[in-house]
Amino acid sequence: MIPPFDYQTPKTLKEACDLLWEASGRAKIIAGGTDLVIGLRNGDTRPDLLIDVTSLKELRRIEEDEQTLSIGAAVTHSEIADSLLVRRYGRILSKAVSEIGSPQIRNLGTIGGNIVNASPAADSLPPLLVLNAVGIVSSYEGEREVPIAQLIQGPYQTVLKAHEILVRLSFRKLSKEMRSGFIRLARREAMAIARMSMAIILRQEEGRIKEIRVSPGSIFPAPQRLIEVEDYLTGKVPDEGLFLTASKKVSETMIHRSGIRASTSYKAPVVEALFLRAIRRSLEEEDGTDWS
Amino acid sequence: MTHPVGKLVKIWFKLNGNAIAVETPAHWTLLRLLREKLKLTGTKEGCGIGECGACTVLLDKRPVHSCLVLAPKIEGKHIETIEGLGSREALHPIQKSFIDHGAVQCGFCTPGMLMSAKALLETNSNPSREEVKKAISGHLCRCTGYQQIIEAIEAAGKMKR
Repeated sequence: MIPPFDYQTPKTLKEACDLLWEASGRAKIIAGGTDLVIGLRNGDTRPDLLIDVTSLKELRRIEEDEQTLSIGAAVTHSEIADSLLVRRYGRILSKAVSEIGSPQIRNLGTIGGNIVNASPAADSLPPLLVLNAVGIVSSYEGEREVPIAQLIQGPYQTVLKAHEILVRLSFRKLSKEMRSGFIRLARREAMAIARMSMAIILRQEEGRIKEIRVSPGSIFPAPQRLIEVEDYLTGKVPDEGLFLTASKKVSETMIHRSGIRASTSYKAPVVEALFLRAIRRSLEEEDGTDWS
Repeated sequence: MTHPVGKLVKIWFKLNGNAIAVETPAHWTLLRLLREKLKLTGTKEGCGIGECGACTVLLDKRPVHSCLVLAPKIEGKHIETIEGLGSREALHPIQKSFIDHGAVQCGFCTPGMLMSAKALLETNSNPSREEVKKAISGHLCRCTGYQQIIEAIEAAGKMKR
């Protein structure tokens, strides 16, 4: 049973920031509630006040300008998956959020919630890392930008202060030349937490890999890119032999950063296979981006 | 700030097509509001944590878990429950199809399944088998009657057209 609390639905961002400031740590922000309501139910969190941010227009928009695409923190996974703008300029994110949970979860859950809940298995984080996404954070004290890669500190921990609100995230629109691949592995397709995932974005120039970013999901306490693998592949001519060597570097990097664990004999070959599939997919002629 | 003692909030929303106003404790879920205050017990509680889909209702035409929606969230929204789908005398075509295809065994997952089926068929009256499976992927049927449920939804789509 969920214990009592007060509930406020501010109509402006300023009002929300003021409420959070006055609550000095005793309030929680609620958006979709797909993680928070479970936490309230099992007693993991006991706020005096919930502040519902889903009426704030700044958090509900998907907008583009010439260079960037920005997505409000309270936009739901379904809305992102349905968005033509995201499909065109951030296909990898569109793909990843369309596989979260179940239709019911995607209709409630929001991208901002997925980020700030900071689960090591959060499905939106590997794509956001390879997109070099930045979070725009607002509070009584003003606004600041935090790269998503720095926003997450560890499992279920972010650098956000109790009175701060993640308003939106933005990233540079992917050009036609940028290809992407995303693979998610779980026990079954729906309603299962990702065991492991792999997000890759790359661009070729004159037959060589000019630019590449790789981020696995669920294998580190906080999402990280595999810079060692990216550096190894940059400037090289893509072929299967190169990818096989690179896939070994993927598992080596994982072991180097997390140590040998009981699960390593399973995870090492699987992370290699996921990397191979994701990079092959990103090199296919069509990665599914709609340029019509 | 005073310590909360289960403050009541007044909310206005549309329930199965009718505008209503109710007072509810802010910490109640939509599921509890429907079952305990509004006495609409067709919506079932299974897991209570958004995994089984038994409590699925439509919120502005989209299926959601009513066990994960706090009551104040439905202010101004349209909620559709199984009670609004059809009556004993006049079954909805999807309900009729479920019966015709033997898609109801113990019946506990049925109200939720029907709501997701309705949401699917309203946006896509000719879904592929894959689309039907995806639409009910957030529902568990512990009698494992999935095959009949999928067939019933496909047939209901055909009837509709």
